[in-house]
Amino acid sequence: MNEQVLIHDAQAGSLDAFNALVLHYQDNVFNTALRILGDEDLAADATQEAFLSAFRSITSFRGGSFKAWLMRTVTNACYDELRRQKRRPSVPLEPETDDGEEMDSPRWLADPDMSPEQKAEADEVEHAIQHCLNNLPVEFKTVVVMADIQGMDYSEVAIAVRVPLGTIKSRLARARLRLRECLQGFSELLPATFRLEEGSSA
Amino acid sequence: MNQRDLELLSSYLDGQLSPSDSARLESRLSSDANLRAVMNDLREARSLLRRLPSRKAPRNFTLTRKMVGQNPPVPRAYPAFRFVTALAMLLLFFTFGLNFLAPQLGSQAPAYGQGGGGGNPEIFAAEAPATEAPAATEAPAAPSAELVPLPTATLSAEDSGRIAETPAEKNGLSEEPPVRDQAQGQNAAPFVPSVWQIILAGIVVIGSLLMLLMRQSAINRWRQKQ
Repeated sequence: MNEQVLIHDAQAGSLDAFNALVLHYQDNVFNTALRILGDEDLAADATQEAFLSAFRSITSFRGGSFKAWLMRTVTNACYDELRRQKRRPSVPLEPETDDGEEMDSPRWLADPDMSPEQKAEADEVEHAIQHCLNNLPVEFKTVVVMADIQGMDYSEVAIAVRVPLGTIKSRLARARLRLRECLQGFSELLPATFRLEEGSSA
Repeated sequence: MNQRDLELLSSYLDGQLSPSDSARLESRLSSDANLRAVMNDLREARSLLRRLPSRKAPRNFTLTRKMVGQNPPVPRAYPAFRFVTALAMLLLFFTFGLNFLAPQLGSQAPAYGQGGGGGNPEIFAAEAPATEAPAATEAPAAPSAELVPLPTATLSAEDSGRIAETPAEKNGLSEEPPVRDQAQGQNAAPFVPSVWQIILAGIVVIGSLLMLLMRQSAINRWRQKQ
């Protein structure tokens, strides 16, 4: 069914229409939350909270990119979660190595068609990228996740984050540079297909 | 590398520069190795992020009616029924409370007053003018009753009735003996007649049933519509 019709029906109170939108966007919303929060359970909570909040305030949607509008709600839900974490820091459930690194090996890249070796490679890359994302300031992380992982254009990201376009450009450039610097530390771990060109950084 | 160049390079990778800005930057890139190196860094990071596979949601995040607190629309008369039923319920409890408390409060009156009244406040009020005269003539008795209050717990209903009668009988003012007998404790009429209680209870029961029917019918209509 047409997205505009679904949005219109959802604004009129149809939960079924809204749920059709949920099914269409839930992977995007969940992935955004996952990359910002770096934890699957927290991301699932934030995703649910975002959809609930979106349904309650869907009458405030005045057209434009619905994806950007949804991303704003999930970003807010993630910020709320991060604030909660700041107030009540929790001990990670994953076992840690001696130097404090978590020993989790994210199996959630899981493409069923991957061979075990490919999966292991992908896990390493995923782990490295998520680690570097976690080290970014949240404003940078949000922008880079939306632009580079969700493939949103600058104007959509600006709507979702509610900052001017110039700020988006600046944050994105700096986030990419910081990620590149961080990922260089993982260059030995990264498989050949993902390996970055050594020493290119100026 | 300044911030402005960094932004230009990043925007260039995303195709966000105007043709003239792109041409100018390309010209600089061809002659500036440092700029090229930074652009490669940005391109690598961008490429890695874009190759990151998308993760499927671990479950469906569809909302239920309970989650969004969505209730079927009830008829317009529903709030009025709710108000009337709640009011009737409140009044019913009030009448029970009044009927229970009124005789107890009334039975305490002789101990602290002039000895008139008995259990029924209406009778007490009716007797007030008649007891004023003996109170004046029996001035010594009244202060003693006030200074040393009679222990009500030890008085039976009959005793209190007798005390109440004494001054009036002495002055020949016992014109309402049958009413006084009624006022003697347990056989006193309820403060609120039971017919009112029955009416109120009826309103509560009928109101509740009607509300239930209205709600059920609204839910059925709503489900059919969904």
